Amino acid sequence: MSVAAAPPVPETNPLREGLEQERVPDASCLVIFGASGDLAHRKLLPALYSLAHDGLLPAGQTIVGFARPDYTDEAYRAEIRKAVDEFARTRPVDEAIWNNFAKGLFYVRGDFSEPEAYNRLKQKLEECDRTRGTGGRRLYYLAVPPSFFPVISDLLGAEGMVTDPEKGGPYTRVIIEKPFGRDLASAKELNRVAVTTFRERQVFRIDHYLGKETVQNLLVLRFANGIFEPFWNRQYIDHMQFTVAESIGVEKRGGYFDTAGITRDIVQNHMLQLVSLVAMEPPVAFEADAIRDEKVKVIRALRTMPVDRQPEFVVRGQYDDGSVLGEKAAAYRKEVNVPADSRTETYVAIKAFIDNWRWADVPIYIRAGKRLPKRVTDISIHFRPAPNPLFRRVPGVRVQPNVLAIRIQPDEGISLKFDSKVPGPTVRSAPVTMEFRYATSFGAEPPEAYERLLLETMLGDSTLFARRDEVEAAWAWLDPLLASWAKGGDPALYPAGTWGPPEADLLIERDGRRWRRP
Amino acid sequence: MTDLMPPEDLRVDIGSIERSLSEIWRVQKKEGDDEAITRAALWNVVAHTSSSIDQAQATQVLCQTAAVVPQRTIIIQANPSAPPDLTSWIGANCHIVAGNKQVCSEEIAIVAGGDRVHRVPPLMNALLIPDMPVAFWWLGDLPHENEEYVQALLDPADRLIVDSSHFDNPADLALVTKVAEQTTTAPADLNWVRLEEWRLAAASIFDPWEMRRRLQMIRRVRIIATVSQDEPLFGENVGALYFAAWLAAQSGHQVDRDGRVEGTNGPIEYQFDRRLHTRGGGIAFAEISFDDGSCATITRDREKCVLVSNVDGVERTPDAVTRSLTNKPHELIVRQLKQPESDKLLVKVLPIATRMAKRVVR
Repeated sequence: MSVAAAPPVPETNPLREGLEQERVPDASCLVIFGASGDLAHRKLLPALYSLAHDGLLPAGQTIVGFARPDYTDEAYRAEIRKAVDEFARTRPVDEAIWNNFAKGLFYVRGDFSEPEAYNRLKQKLEECDRTRGTGGRRLYYLAVPPSFFPVISDLLGAEGMVTDPEKGGPYTRVIIEKPFGRDLASAKELNRVAVTTFRERQVFRIDHYLGKETVQNLLVLRFANGIFEPFWNRQYIDHMQFTVAESIGVEKRGGYFDTAGITRDIVQNHMLQLVSLVAMEPPVAFEADAIRDEKVKVIRALRTMPVDRQPEFVVRGQYDDGSVLGEKAAAYRKEVNVPADSRTETYVAIKAFIDNWRWADVPIYIRAGKRLPKRVTDISIHFRPAPNPLFRRVPGVRVQPNVLAIRIQPDEGISLKFDSKVPGPTVRSAPVTMEFRYATSFGAEPPEAYERLLLETMLGDSTLFARRDEVEAAWAWLDPLLASWAKGGDPALYPAGTWGPPEADLLIERDGRRWRRP
Repeated sequence: MTDLMPPEDLRVDIGSIERSLSEIWRVQKKEGDDEAITRAALWNVVAHTSSSIDQAQATQVLCQTAAVVPQRTIIIQANPSAPPDLTSWIGANCHIVAGNKQVCSEEIAIVAGGDRVHRVPPLMNALLIPDMPVAFWWLGDLPHENEEYVQALLDPADRLIVDSSHFDNPADLALVTKVAEQTTTAPADLNWVRLEEWRLAAASIFDPWEMRRRLQMIRRVRIIATVSQDEPLFGENVGALYFAAWLAAQSGHQVDRDGRVEGTNGPIEYQFDRRLHTRGGGIAFAEISFDDGSCATITRDREKCVLVSNVDGVERTPDAVTRSLTNKPHELIVRQLKQPESDKLLVKVLPIATRMAKRVVR
């Protein structure tokens, strides 16, 4: 008699097929270091509540706040309820969902450098494993200044609160917020510290721009539509503009901002992420490392800026007295915690080049600033004008370059500008736009960036997070510039409420181009 | 924040529907701010009804749907036994986005009676927006006895949305299966979508490796369907049939033309029972027994509104059952319209469920 061999066990659960689109992570303990801070109150906990509201958090998901102030669990929940009421995307708050969410919200008081506090935290987490089914899975969100990162990282390691993914078992992940250093050396040091306790794949560097729908749509726009990619190159594109404008000043962040400046605060991270997504080659797969491999190539291909010829490539500015949106706005040097003789730039405009086959000699104009006329983040692709001489002698027709504009925020969407004949008996042309707006086409407002990013960390997908080499490549490009500024020189002043100093206009007008009014 | 505004319907001549719609927008553009109103559509959604009650329901549901997925809505009320007539109305489903912008979707209602019903398919075809996909929502029972009419209507459809809990005959399910197998119209079933939490609960039982091994040791499956009466409508069994067919398909079981099931180790018993409940058409309980005598069950904790699985005596609440909240008709339809592709799993499950249906209809 022969005995039939047992069929092999399938590697994946076949019953999961078709359920993947609604990805739901396994329940875990998310520890927020700096749980009493602004980021936790305004962004993280409201985002987590909205995820729960949308049914995207697993039953048993647990959040443990860890910070210095003395709260009981109940007092912390009451505090967070206020924050959710004020800041959550999904308002008004649904009582049933909140009650369920609040049951998984705990607080542990402690100093970040106190080993005993980590012991208390560990006990709390183990208790949650038993009572809430979190299975030893850990997410540590460091919503704290980078100076705390080494001590937190060391103590987590020393207390045995970090697992090694190479050895299997439940995961541990750490989420860190920018700034990832203030120059190449400090970024390298931060990364070195990170990998003494964690492996690189356990580290999730948040750049909240990557959580925005429109930023993610850049990949879909470019690689899921056959019409764009064929002319997404130097043959058809004249230049590109990237604008991150804020109407606000430094508000309460004067102390921090004055040590950083807009280049460190915005350009090194958000803007170079945008540039790399717009300029990268098609990745070989829609996977984290395949995408990040292509992004980092773009950053590495950025032409080194000749620091001795700065006016041709860079303009830095600082806002002076003026008015924004009808309100008086004081000069940067009069802001709280800002020295009266500060030379920190609140505006920067850069003309960059990507030295690769696709983008050779295509200028990329980047500008970021505070106290500009309005808050807007916008990318515009300016195509070469039509070569057709047909309309050269037709008085009513002025051939203008087509512009594809991608609005990241607010009012997310894409528009294409082209010329059209004005109805009537004579031939006259006028520019018109075809517009796509997220809110119009998809009704619901897109989720907050932090919602998406928190969910991705729970799922372990690092596509939307900056990798170590990306961060270091970005610093490597900016370091010579920042170092030269540290030696001296003053930023050009611009009145608050304008689009930056006149030198920035000159930077682009010298090339026969103009800044697009976003 | 979205505010819904009821459509103000305007009766128009059949031959001038498009012209009348254009006129509405032209007049509004002239009167209002240039930026104030946006006309949008991502889908053509056609709802087919046979009574004024169903028509009212379709109007209400698609008005809510249009707020999330902009669409040209065409609502057909076709009743061959009504007096011969063909009339139409137009309106707009508008909602406010981003504080002040009004986004409007067009709605066309067509009421046909008597022999005029057969004029509906070409009329509907002429009213579809070009280059936009077409979803066809069939409310109520599918008229399998009038297949030609159904096929004429479905000809331009990319998606057929039904709710099989309303089917009165296994032939309706067979017709959906035929549409899936023989046409380019992809079927979608709201009854199948409602089952997602049960599929998720069952899937999470078999996530651990040692449980995946047991997937090949299934000996018996028992499913209790909720029914609203002793002699239930066929459709009240379909949820249980889908669950069984899905489990069989994904576990590699073979189902013959009479609905008998065979696994690698021999026959597997799929047992269908019923439990009276105020709302029929769902599943009350599922039990999966294994070769070694152990079993796993899934049941609903009515107090917490969640499904609870029990494996070898250990109870567990599977992940994300909170999604059971999203079973309102407009939410189910929105989920269908947000799926860019056909549901391949449903296409796989349909013929198996059709074969298994012979086991529940005696």
